[in-house]
Amino acid sequence: MSLPLPAVEPAAPPIEGAAPVIEMRGIGKVYRSGRLEVDALREVDLEVHSGDFLAIVGPSGSGKSTLMNLLGCLDRPTSGTYRLTGENVAELNDDALARLRNRTIGFVFQSFNLLPRTTALENVAMPLLYAGVSRGERNARAREALERLGLGDRMEHQPSELSGGQQQRVAIARALVTKPAILLADEPTGNLDSQSGADVLALLHELNASGTTVVLITHDGDVAVAAKRSVHVKDGRVAA
Amino acid sequence: MNPLELIPLALSRLAASKMRAVLTMLGVIIGVGSIVALVSVAQGATSGITNLIEGLGTNLISVSPGANNNGFVRGAAGSADTLTLADAEAITGVDGVDQVAPQVSTIAVVVAGDRNTTTTVSGITPAFQPVRAYEIWRGAFITEPSYRAGLRVAVIGSATAEALKLDESAVGADILVGGVPFRVIGVLQPKGILDDQVFIPLSTMRDHFVAGDAVQSISVSAADPATIPLTKVAISNLLRARHGIADGAEADFTVIDQAQLLSAFGTITGFLSLLLAGIASISLVVGGIGIMNIMLVSVRERTREIGIRKAIGARNRDILLQFLVEALVLSLAGGVIGIAFGVAASAGVGAIAGWGLNLSAQTILLAVAFSLVVGVVFGVWPARQAAKLDPIEALRYQ
Repeated sequence: MSLPLPAVEPAAPPIEGAAPVIEMRGIGKVYRSGRLEVDALREVDLEVHSGDFLAIVGPSGSGKSTLMNLLGCLDRPTSGTYRLTGENVAELNDDALARLRNRTIGFVFQSFNLLPRTTALENVAMPLLYAGVSRGERNARAREALERLGLGDRMEHQPSELSGGQQQRVAIARALVTKPAILLADEPTGNLDSQSGADVLALLHELNASGTTVVLITHDGDVAVAAKRSVHVKDGRVAA
Repeated sequence: MNPLELIPLALSRLAASKMRAVLTMLGVIIGVGSIVALVSVAQGATSGITNLIEGLGTNLISVSPGANNNGFVRGAAGSADTLTLADAEAITGVDGVDQVAPQVSTIAVVVAGDRNTTTTVSGITPAFQPVRAYEIWRGAFITEPSYRAGLRVAVIGSATAEALKLDESAVGADILVGGVPFRVIGVLQPKGILDDQVFIPLSTMRDHFVAGDAVQSISVSAADPATIPLTKVAISNLLRARHGIADGAEADFTVIDQAQLLSAFGTITGFLSLLLAGIASISLVVGGIGIMNIMLVSVRERTREIGIRKAIGARNRDILLQFLVEALVLSLAGGVIGIAFGVAASAGVGAIAGWGLNLSAQTILLAVAFSLVVGVVFGVWPARQAAKLDPIEALRYQ
């Protein structure tokens, strides 16, 4: 897959003394089913600083989905410490995790995960509902996010009336509407044709250039070149 | 998050599958509708009966003969010949008694021209009209002179007049009562109860139909409603003395007043209302189970939606509320529609039965409260199932 992207810049060195947005130390995740124990992740160390664009690359079964779930606060690690914007995720209850997912993380999924029979505007405004933002401000901010992604004329369209690329842009607008500390994209191009995929990667690049921290999870090494730096996951371990 | 924000969400969700929403609500509609209809019909029947009883005459005390106690077989109340005209005259002297109206009745065929009807013929005194609160529509009631003289004159009830096709010109018409010629001197206003009767002077009754001194009932009007209980005791004591009944022995007559009659009917209709409401509540419970069933299906169908909502920051409580509000909207909408149907049904029954629409605010509030309770009770479990879903698995669900 060839991408019409600007040359990848070298990763910006972390600002001295600034705490990383994501800091994983010795993270392990064990799944138990009956007497069987599976080590999905072992001794993972990971740091993402503000403004970074990290690609996490690995084949299926490598543990990258588990890593993505942990990074996204959908799950808690079995061992190690994970600090997201300074908060120790392992110590948080369900409500606190929901608040982190709402305010600190913006999710972009492979299958878009937009609500069916719901307009683009309502989809984008939804995270703000759970943030307790008033209806008027929700719609204003959602409109702004959609316009920023060039979807100003698609606000009242339902997902079924949009192309794959447009749906993914709506999903990115939804991820950005809460102004999260990081954008977590899980195979964002997996369900798209190569042109739409390239557009989405260009968009992520552009967002990163304007200051958004992006973590991209993919099995595709070609996709990973869009990032400033990448790490590889294999057999539950992370290597640079 | 403001839970009120979930109401439009729930409404649009239900609007998206209208047929399902309507079918789900049907159980609650039927349940609430039948509660409203049955309770208001029972209330209508109660007030109808109350009006009829009150129409029998205010301040009324009825004295009836006791049961005919013949060996092992006890006859119906009033079947014995223990009350006499002399008893009635004696009651006139009791403190608190205004007027006394003895009555002797029989069943007879009444013929007017080419029409005939079988009805109750009662021999009465002029006091009967005020005591039993009958009003004359045409002509006049039986007078003291015609009572004394034992004239063959008759006052007929409105229903009897109708059965005999006697209209405004009925007064002066000649009829046959049990084969004896009589002249109609008056027609009564309808009361809604006991309108199919023919009244003749008690003296005439004795001469032509029922010989002897016994009377079937004595209607007494009390001078003051406040002293009715005392008057009843006085009448009772008088009759016990006259009949030579020892203290503690069972009397051969009964004395009852309107309040007793009303409270007896009140007990019956109250029990009836409770019974009907109980039966209707069962259908409401069935309706609630219908809601729970659909909500569980809905939670399963929308597992992915729940996963998405959780991933973007919905707390367990937000998901719980979302599904609970949906169940509440379903049951409350069903309740409102049910109330509309129930009101329509009870208005229809009231119109046919003639007691109008009897609908209390309590009935409506009760119905709304019931549907809310059904929504919460049967909505909370599916909502908890939704809230408990693991976001990762919910997102993976196809």
